[in-house]
Amino acid sequence: MLERLTRIWAQRAILRTLVQRDLRVRYARSWLGYLWTIIDPLAMALIYFLVFAVIFQRSDAGHKPYFLFLIVGLLPWQWFNASINESARSLISEAKLVRSTNLPRELWVVRVVISKGIEFVLSLPVLFAFVVVYVFTGETKLNWRLVLFPVALVLQFIFQTGIGLLLAPATVLADDTIRVVRIVLRMLFYGTPIIYTLDRAPHWLQTALWFNPLSGILELYRAGFFPQPLKIAPLVVGALMSIGFLVWGAISFARMERAVLKEI
Amino acid sequence: MASLAGQESSATSNRDVITADGLGIEFYRSRRRKLSLREMVLRRENTAPTETFWALKDVSFRVGPGEAVGLVGSNGGGKSTLLKMIAGVLLPDEGTVKVNGGVAPLIELTGGFLGELSARDNVMLTAGLHGLDKQAIEERFDEIIDFAGPQVRAGLDMPFRHFSSGMQVRLGFALITTLDEPIVLVDEVLAVGDKDFREKCYERMETLLAQGRTLFLVSHSEPDLRRFCTRGLYLKGGRLEADGSMDDILELYNAKPA
Repeated sequence: MLERLTRIWAQRAILRTLVQRDLRVRYARSWLGYLWTIIDPLAMALIYFLVFAVIFQRSDAGHKPYFLFLIVGLLPWQWFNASINESARSLISEAKLVRSTNLPRELWVVRVVISKGIEFVLSLPVLFAFVVVYVFTGETKLNWRLVLFPVALVLQFIFQTGIGLLLAPATVLADDTIRVVRIVLRMLFYGTPIIYTLDRAPHWLQTALWFNPLSGILELYRAGFFPQPLKIAPLVVGALMSIGFLVWGAISFARMERAVLKEI
Repeated sequence: MASLAGQESSATSNRDVITADGLGIEFYRSRRRKLSLREMVLRRENTAPTETFWALKDVSFRVGPGEAVGLVGSNGGGKSTLLKMIAGVLLPDEGTVKVNGGVAPLIELTGGFLGELSARDNVMLTAGLHGLDKQAIEERFDEIIDFAGPQVRAGLDMPFRHFSSGMQVRLGFALITTLDEPIVLVDEVLAVGDKDFREKCYERMETLLAQGRTLFLVSHSEPDLRRFCTRGLYLKGGRLEADGSMDDILELYNAKPA
């Protein structure tokens, strides 16, 4: 385990090259390039805002202002969604490279999570633009818990890397993993407190939601922008589970590697 | 003068560049082993083929620095599999293979290239993937492009997918052979390209050998094998049938009915 970690660390220059390549492909080839990173979550936020705040008149589903609440949740979700979808395919889509270079295979997964993570970070100016507007209009105030934002980012990275390490070999060995992943992701979107807050859910469901690590992670992201008290339970559960997933993912990846290389 | 006699060096085991010990790898007989989730969940009772075969079994040998080894054997003998295990892109189910130093694999030449990017970007990125740092890439960039030929240079800023397959392979060969790795693995790629380019490839390989690199060559071309290799390994049905001088091995191989 430790040995693998040092091997990956030793190849960090290559990791950088790969991430640069991803970003180049992403931003150099489509004329809207960077805008796509922003348009997507903004469009989603607009839709949910229209449906819940305008049509159903239930903007109290989340903190106030609801639109800001939506964006703080949707941006990390977009990272999560893209990162899971693509890391599940990370070995297959780079089959030629996996077959022709002797790099630690975990690199292919980590690379996707990081590339998507950089896109996430690049989309943050949108969030801060809205924060500025809402602070200016007096609808929200920033607080010191903003320092938890990077903590959330690190936790999310850990969680996603773990899931990616579990899914990437499974996708190589069983074709239909991808379809299952898509469906689960769609369900998980509603099973994550993105368009609602944890305490909107009935009690029994709240406890169940703790076991979605994203619940705790989103609590952390939001803490700096909203005055509501931080819920500790989902945080602790989420952090422990994220680390657990990473360990599980790393172990299972190492065990499946041999079979994966034969199939790819 | 291009090839060094490596026989003496293989006696001193601690200087060996490649050490294979009881190497074995098992594959499923049917090419499609992919399970559907249904099979995974249902304990793969029905359709998953369980019959396996050993593509390689009990293969042991040592290769010293500067040796030029030719792999001989009919199709399905395990040559490419062995090369891939040395390159570290397949892992053995049995035994070990130790490789001292980096490997420049001429196996999937265009593996790292992306169709959407320009040839220039591709060279930069792929060279990076194979461990060259930015400065080294810049120093060698012209050399790589020169070797790949004038058509490649003319299309440097064109998306790579517009290259002809010959041009793609040229660029791949040029790139991999400029790497500094002490071990070079070649899997039947010398047959690509037109006559002029092939001649250039031969020269490049001879230069590499003269620099004291270790060469592993898979080929069905006897002249190629004789030209580059001093030692031969004969793989038959996944087992190492014989290990000796290239001439002896070819004689043995030709003597057997195919």
